[in-house]
Amino acid sequence: MTDAIVIEQARKAFGKKVAVHGFDLRVPQGTMYGFIGPNGAGKTTTIRMVMSIIFPDSGRVEVLGRKSAVESKDRIGYLPEERGVYKKMKVGAFLTHIARLKGVDGAAARARVHQWLERVDLGDVIKKRCEELSKGMQQKVQFIASVVHEPELLILDEPFSGLDPVNMRLLRDLIAEQHAQGTTVIFSTHVMHQAQMLCDHIVMINDGKKVLDATLSEIRSRFDPNTIMLEPMNIETETLELERVDGIEKVQRVEGQRLEVSIAPGTDATKMIAKIAQAVPVARIELRRPTLEDVFIKIVEGSSVHPGAEGATRSEGRADGSTGLDEQSELMEETTEGVK
Amino acid sequence: MNSKVLLIAFREFKSTAMTKGFLIGAFLVPAIAIAVIPLIILLMMNADAPVVHGELAVQDKTGSVIPYLRDELSQDAMIDRRKKEVEKVKAVTDQALGSMSEMNSDLVSSAVDQAIEQSTDDLPMIRVRQLDQGVDLVVEKEPLKDSLPKEIEKGRIGLAVIDADAVMRAEGEERFGGFSLFVRPKLDDRVIKEMRSGIRDAIRTARYKANGYEAEEIAALTSIRGEQTQEVTDTGDRRSSQELTAMLPFAFMLLMMISVMVGGQYLLTSTIEEKSSRVVEVVLSAVSPMQLMTGKIIGQMCVGMTLLFIYSGLGMGALSAFALSQVVEPVTLIYLFVFFVLAYFMIASLMAAVGAAVNDIREAQSLQTPIILLVMLPYILWMPISRDPNSMLATVLSFVPPVSPFVMMMRITSTEPPHFWQILVSILVGVVGVYLSVRLAAKVFRVGLLMFGKPPNIRTLIRWIRMA
Repeated sequence: MTDAIVIEQARKAFGKKVAVHGFDLRVPQGTMYGFIGPNGAGKTTTIRMVMSIIFPDSGRVEVLGRKSAVESKDRIGYLPEERGVYKKMKVGAFLTHIARLKGVDGAAARARVHQWLERVDLGDVIKKRCEELSKGMQQKVQFIASVVHEPELLILDEPFSGLDPVNMRLLRDLIAEQHAQGTTVIFSTHVMHQAQMLCDHIVMINDGKKVLDATLSEIRSRFDPNTIMLEPMNIETETLELERVDGIEKVQRVEGQRLEVSIAPGTDATKMIAKIAQAVPVARIELRRPTLEDVFIKIVEGSSVHPGAEGATRSEGRADGSTGLDEQSELMEETTEGVK
Repeated sequence: MNSKVLLIAFREFKSTAMTKGFLIGAFLVPAIAIAVIPLIILLMMNADAPVVHGELAVQDKTGSVIPYLRDELSQDAMIDRRKKEVEKVKAVTDQALGSMSEMNSDLVSSAVDQAIEQSTDDLPMIRVRQLDQGVDLVVEKEPLKDSLPKEIEKGRIGLAVIDADAVMRAEGEERFGGFSLFVRPKLDDRVIKEMRSGIRDAIRTARYKANGYEAEEIAALTSIRGEQTQEVTDTGDRRSSQELTAMLPFAFMLLMMISVMVGGQYLLTSTIEEKSSRVVEVVLSAVSPMQLMTGKIIGQMCVGMTLLFIYSGLGMGALSAFALSQVVEPVTLIYLFVFFVLAYFMIASLMAAVGAAVNDIREAQSLQTPIILLVMLPYILWMPISRDPNSMLATVLSFVPPVSPFVMMMRITSTEPPHFWQILVSILVGVVGVYLSVRLAAKVFRVGLLMFGKPPNIRTLIRWIRMA
């Protein structure tokens, strides 16, 4: 299998601030890769380097077998994080313009735009100006702009932000469909469960470094489950009993009648289930698999810098205005909330 | 050329020039102006105004003016006077056009004939009625009053009182007497003028006669034929050029300046718009920043050129309407477009860079000011350059971009156009200027487009240029 994207030690700094420390990454053709990481981790910078919108200070980025995306722009679909449209342009004209810029000829572009708008229930807005659309509608229009030229590689930067559940599902189906057609798909998100639902491969970026690069099943097996969910017969008496069981670190009451039991690292979870069942009568007991979020938090907390403190230095660095990409302007509050 | 660049250029042109605002500004306003001017002229000529028939009552205290006045107010005399006036206008235009009027003297004289013919259509019919010396002026003025029914057709329209010493000086006086004229309110001013000049000429003739002169003799004595001033040049003497030719460089410079500035401003705002609406990243995923900038510059160049076409077309139209189209040689128009393109590219690329560097139009003001000042420089220097188009100042400035295209255009349209080699050098210098400014701008453009936050100062811009 050939690689759609090859990144070798690509490094990018804005002034003194290093957005992406050099790392290697290979994305094979036909796969669906999820870039996850907190805001300001370097996802957008990485994606912009892949798109040749900005160029790495050092290192190499190969896209679709060419030295840079400049030479294969027409074969790539891109939905930027910062979405924009020509406000005064009509929806149909805007999409046709983008399609033609991507090398689709006039008549075909118009036909495809029409088809796509019908597919996402926007057939009636073709003659409306872009500024008249709601934000969700605009987002769908922008998604069309990224796939209308039938790209081999589709890069979506935070595609789900700002969508309602119905449209989120629609978009997820559309992305899955692109993937099924053989398109290589990369998308970034800081909403972990979106990545979990869609991707077969996860790349985690934190503080400009690649901290994880594995398939979902690899991740699951590598990060041992260490939490057991438990619904005891009698919650009042049994909590105390449980704490005496060997190998249990912490028992926490969650959601009324349920207990969350953390087991000591290195302990075999399946054996622990048997042990617990022996010790106390239980109504229900299950092993909780680590979610991407758990994995993510584990990795971030394990890294030397505390995310909260990092967020603070970022915002200070931003105040002097010397570095500027929008991505850096967002604080990491959302992630620290996730940690809590 | 790259088809993506053309697509961007086309979109840029379409979204700017095919809007109501632009169409109104560029076409409708001049169209209205053109439509209104003849209308105003028409109204002023008042072609439909009724020919005035009326009576001028005259109390002639000298007793000698009336016969001459009757002559002067006859139709023939009126036509004579109007002819003289048209001749005067012709003399003034001759002066203004300088050497150019020689070429179309036939046209001018036919135009004069036409003017005379037109002006004699509405000659008033004025009867002169002599009043007795002893009449009561208050009673005689009564028919002139506004409140009377409009029997203006045949009624009294004026009352003239000629002073007793109007023809012969009173004893011991240095000056002659004159006359007073009373008229109906709202009387056509041309009729009043006719009466006044009639009375003046009549008194004058009476004075000549009283002193034993012939009117023709006096006219011959006082008129001196004024030859045009001649300029002595290598190719022979020629009539000194005057106002119109001096205006020509100014007109060309202004036309170029307006077109360059309009295109440049649109480019600035459309770049800021693309950046602030973030659509630029989508576009950049399809084209390179250089392609985007080139496309945008070319698109807005077409906008500026549209204006240039419209206004130079209007100007040429106006000139040929007055049979003066030879004032502008065809090659001058070619130069106009060449120098427009050079000036536009230099200014526009800088504008694009400013647009990419800032976040909104307000921030653009401070960075844009030096560019606007550069463009205004030829405007300020117009006077010294047009007075002496081959001075050291003018020559040097016509080789210094980005003012060189403007200054060179002024020199070309002046009466002493520079040597061809100077024009050629100016074009070459311009091309180099375009190359440098586009390169510089491309760097700022590329870095600036995706930079948000604090607006950059000059130092940051220099850093970006080094960075790119």
